[in-house]
This record gives sequence, structure tokens and C-alpha cells, in this order.
Amino acid sequence: MYEFSELGWIKHVVFHPFEGFEDLRWKKKGSVKYALIIVFLLFVAMVANDRMMGFAFDDSQVKVFNVVPLIVQSVVYYVTWVIGNWCICTLLDGEGTLKKIAIYSAYALVPYIICSYCAVLLSNALVLDESIWVTAFQWVGLGWSVILMISAMKAVHQYSIPKTLISIVLTLVAMLLILFLAVLLLSLFQQVYVFVYTIYTEISYRIRG
Amino acid sequence: MKGFKKSIRRFTSLTLAALTAVSLSVSAFADEPYESYNYDNWEEAIPSQSAYTVKDVIGGDYMGLARLSDPTDPLFYSEEASDSLSEAKDFYVYNNEELWIADTGNSRILRLDSDYQLIGCYYTVTGTSEMDSLATTEDGTATYFNEPQGLFVTTSPSTGKLTLYVADYSNSRVVRASVDSETELTLEQEYVKPDAALYTSETFNPSKVLVDAAENVYTVVKSVNTGSVQFEADGTFTGFFGANRVEVTASVIVQNLWRKIASNEQISGMTRNVPVEYANFDMDSDGFIYTVTEVSTDTDAVKKVNPAGYNIWDNSVGDEYNFGDYTTSVYDAATSTTYSTKLTDIAVNDDGLINVLDYETGRVFQYDRLANLICIFGTTTSSADQAGAFSSPNVVEMFGDDVIVLEGSKTRNDITIFKRTTFGENLHTAFAYYDEGLYLEAVPYWNEVLKRDGGYVYAYIGLGKADLKNNDYKAALDKFETVYDRDDYDKAFEYYRNEWLEEHFTAIAVVIIVLVVLLFVRWILKRKGIKLIKRKKKQKEAD
Repeated sequence: MYEFSELGWIKHVVFHPFEGFEDLRWKKKGSVKYALIIVFLLFVAMVANDRMMGFAFDDSQVKVFNVVPLIVQSVVYYVTWVIGNWCICTLLDGEGTLKKIAIYSAYALVPYIICSYCAVLLSNALVLDESIWVTAFQWVGLGWSVILMISAMKAVHQYSIPKTLISIVLTLVAMLLILFLAVLLLSLFQQVYVFVYTIYTEISYRIRG
Repeated sequence: MKGFKKSIRRFTSLTLAALTAVSLSVSAFADEPYESYNYDNWEEAIPSQSAYTVKDVIGGDYMGLARLSDPTDPLFYSEEASDSLSEAKDFYVYNNEELWIADTGNSRILRLDSDYQLIGCYYTVTGTSEMDSLATTEDGTATYFNEPQGLFVTTSPSTGKLTLYVADYSNSRVVRASVDSETELTLEQEYVKPDAALYTSETFNPSKVLVDAAENVYTVVKSVNTGSVQFEADGTFTGFFGANRVEVTASVIVQNLWRKIASNEQISGMTRNVPVEYANFDMDSDGFIYTVTEVSTDTDAVKKVNPAGYNIWDNSVGDEYNFGDYTTSVYDAATSTTYSTKLTDIAVNDDGLINVLDYETGRVFQYDRLANLICIFGTTTSSADQAGAFSSPNVVEMFGDDVIVLEGSKTRNDITIFKRTTFGENLHTAFAYYDEGLYLEAVPYWNEVLKRDGGYVYAYIGLGKADLKNNDYKAALDKFETVYDRDDYDKAFEYYRNEWLEEHFTAIAVVIIVLVVLLFVRWILKRKGIKLIKRKKKQKEAD
């Protein structure tokens, strides 16, 4: 039973929100390679959402496009989610390893990504009066992914549902902490860099002059 | 051959140098003391062409005010009559033929022809006044004006005479008088402080006056903030018209919260939140009254009031009308001061063009009848007096195609005349067609506009709508996308999609039918248990 290819497994977990991840865990399946591809597709979906929406639906009227916020919103959030969840659930007797959390979380994102692409495609064919379809796709994708994410976290750590929810809230707090520390660290390193660079210019002037 | 080449080179370089010199001198001559700009769809100021340029700045000497103190002249008044304007507060263009000025500081009304030459002057109005405190002439038959601040001229529909309405500020009255000659007025009616309980203000100092087709008189009265005071033709007070609302600021919100918890005594000690009175108003040919108010936010800064007293341009019902600069305050690095928009006058002409004057920045904002921004011109003086720059502009009016701005302060009294450029002419024609929905007729004018200013937003919208009328949906889409007009883009896209579906209907139908047939065949095959050869092979391998 359940002899799937990797793609088959992704399809299986997406369409079986309640047992899918348990099966995945039981069969010890899931690949990091596919997880990375999914995260990359998430980033592409974010960019498409920003740049390729139908013109009438495009409310991000920017004069200069900047990709950095989109990288942060996709890849950085994903990585902090995985690390934060691993940190919290190690303390809360979760059974998941870092690798498993990364794989399961990525698989749970699949509906959101696919629905985003569908919404982008639809928005290029619809007019504003029919915008309900675009919004519906976006919300369905989001809701589906949230349910899958809860199920995934439940399966990977072998938690009860209340404990899963608590761990997710704590993970969000942990993400905030990690991002805060990261920003702090970045600015600190920038200071150090500026300091070193000033010393370098100072010395180079003295040598020359 | 070498010599020839050399001489050619010398010739070209000389010509180029001469051309450069000429073009430089020309551009220096044509420059206004400000840079023309307009707003793009991001509400950011972008450079634009000048739609108006300064034609002349004229003062009392140009108008011939010296005639008033010349005993040989028929308009002679007295030896001491001032030959310049003094803090003039209002002027009125009658029928595009005459310009009437309320020369407030000199307490007189001036009447100029279309060449800005003096043709009449009125210091007094003949007739006995109801008010006994007024200064009269020696024989007691006429009363003097005292700091008239507003006026209105019309041909009376009831008497057929040329009739002048004056907001006689310090005499606390509005005068209706028939114009008998170049120097004589006959009093017909006085509109004085209402004796009604509704009128609670202690004083009655009218500063602006308007008259509608039924000869109702509307007047803006100082420190009356419940709207303009309205009289019937016979002087009966009928009420207030079109009051402003209170501008919602942080302090107003805080005070409203305090009021909820304060005792009655405490409340009586608080200052009241009252709306600001109008700065000025004007009426268009359809009888709508346009008001401006000097407020810092856009609450009721400009209103278009219908005869029932309701504001048609009301942003609180979801419209997006914006007047003046988009930023609430502008920092000027040259003088290191911060200006905030303070709209002080509005002028509507018969074509529906609306000019709004900003007192603080000295800019005139011109709008079409649908409140789309056409152009911006004028500025404040930063260091020296320049043509096109103002220190305290009071009034704006349209005189024919020209826009005239009255500068009336203690130090400077003159009228600046702006004339339309070719760019401005094209804009006006294009907007006139555009507002009537004649998009195709507007096309050549929009193209002319685009030749001079490739970033003019409404030109693209106008051309796009013309394309829509021509059923050229693809071109319309491009133009709307250029200027980020999403609503019109959406409409164009709907037509474009319908057209596309109609054109490709056969192909789409064929694809759908083929797909349905394929699915049906597959379903039947599955049901009958017929399997494809490939799978049989696989099964054999599995066995």
C-alpha cells in the first residue's frame, strides 16, 4: 500500500489533509530536494503575484521594483519558520527533526503556491466585476495551506491538536525573536564593516600622503 | 580640398555657436520665475509645460487712475484721489467686457474696459440709506462707500438695468444700486444686519457677495461660520446657505472625548469647535455655487454647492476630489519656510473652467468642470518682485481667455495678467471636447498636448477613450496602462476580451469539444475494462 513516487507523495499529502502526513511519516518518505524546489516556487509565486497580476488587479503601483522584500517574505520566512519550530518543539518533546520539519512544512505550502499561480493567471483573463474568483482562489489556497501546515506539524511532532496550535503560536513568537536578532546582528556587522573600512581608508591615505 | 574642409568646419562651428547663443538668450527671456508642474498618477509633482505665461503686470498708472485727480477730465473726483490701487480685495468680470474692482483701501469702485483702461469710478451711492450712522455727502443725498470688499455686477432680470451689488464692509451693508453713468449710482436696496433670532452674530461685515438668477443675494459675512447669509431681492433675510463642517484634527477629537466626561461648567469654559467661514465663492452659469475655505486639510476646502445647500464634491461619500497641492505642506529651501495650502479664491468661467488661488504658495490651480487638474501656474515672491510672482494674491478671475490675479497688500497693488500659451489652448479645447464625451474630436488636440508634454496624464486617458470609441481596444489598453488608469483599463479589457472571444470562438469551441470527446472515450474504455497496450505490457513485466 502507498507506493508513490515523490510527486505522488506530494499529491497524496495535499489531498489527504488528515492522514497524509501521518502516512508520509510512517513510510519515512519526503525529499529535501523537492522541498527546496517548492520553496523556490513559492518565491516565484510571490514575484508573479507582485509583477504579473492582471493590470486592473495590480494594486502595487510601485515605480521601482525591489525583489528583496519578496525574498524575505518567502525564503527568509520559511527558513525562520523551520528553525523556530525546531527550537520550540525540541523543548516541547516534539519528535520531528530539522530535516523532517523542513520537508513537511514545504509540502504544506503547495496548495497556496498553486492557487497563487491560478489567481495570477485568472486575473489576466478577468475584469474587476469578476474579481471574486481571484480572491476566492487566493483565500482557498491560503486556508488549505494553513490546515495542511497544522496537520503537518501535528504529524511530524506527534502532538495532540491543542498542543500543535500552542506550538505554532510559540513558533511565531520565536520567528519574531529570530528576525529581531538577525536585524540586530546585521546592523552590528554593518557597524563593524564601516569601522574597518574607515581604518582602511585612513591608513591608505597616510601611506599615500 | 583640405582648405575647403577646414572652411566648412569653421562655418559649422560658428553657426552652432551663434545658434546656441540665440537659443540661450531666448530661453532666458521666456522663463517664468517658477517651474511649471503637474501631478502624475503617483500624486507626485512632475515637470510640465507652462499653460499660461505672464502677459503683463499692470498698476494704477496703466489703468489711468491719474484721471481721477485731473480737474479737466470728466471722471475728475478730487485733487487728492489716489492714482493707485490700495489693498483691493475683489474684482468682478462683467460679461467679458468690463472689469470692476473693489478698491478697498481707497473706498471706491473702479470700472475698467477690456483694455484695462478706466471708464468709471464710484465713491458714493445716491439715495437715502436706512442706516443713519453712515457718512453722507454735504448735500445729504448720497452715502459714501466704506472699505467695500466684494462686488457683483449683472444686468437685472427685473429692471433690465446694469446693476451693481457691493459688500460695503465697514458700513455693515450690502448695496444694490443701478448704474446711471460713469460716476453715479442710484440706491435700489440695502441688505443690512438681519433682525432675526437665527442671526446670532453681533456684527454684520459682508466681505463677498453673489446674486443668483432669481436675484437672491448671498453674502459671506466676517465671523459668521454657519454659511453664507442669504437675502431675498427685497431685503428679507431667508437664512444661511451651505455651511462648512468642522475640520477633524487631533485636537478636535481629543476635545470631543473630554466633552463626554466633563461637567457642564467645564464644558462652558472650553473653546468651541466651529467650522471656518468661506474665504470666497463664485457661481457658474448653471447656478451652482463654488466655495473655497482657507483650511489646512481638505475638509470642505473647495465645495460645489447645489441650490439645496448640499456639497456635490464630497469626499466623505467615497469620491476623490483634490484641490491644491497634494502635500499639505511644502518646504521651500530658498526661504527656509514651510507653506501649507490655503485656498483663498475660486473663479468659474462660462466654459466651466475652475481656477483656484492658493494664497500661501501663490499658485493658481486650474481645473475642468469635472475637477480634473489642467495646469498650475504662479508662485510667491521669494526675494524680489517678479512678473508672475505674488506676495499676497487676493483674487483670481478669468477675463476672456486670460487669467488675472489681483495682488492687494500694503506694499504692492497690481493686477497680473496671464495669457494662454499654445499648450494651454490645446488643453482647453481638448478638455472641452473630453468633458462632453466627444473623445474623437479631442484627439488632434491631445496629440498637440503630448508633443509639448509627453507626461500629460489626461492626454493618454483622452486618447485611450478615443481608441475605445474606434473599437481599437488594444491601443486603448496600452494608453491606460501608461498612465496607470486601472478603472478605464478594466473597461477596455472587458471589450477586448469579448472581441477576442468572438474572433476565436471556433477554435475555442473545437478545443472544448475535442477535450470532452477524449474524456468520454477514456471513461468508456475504463468502464469496459479495455486497457491500453502499454499497461498490459507493464502488467506482464510485473507477472
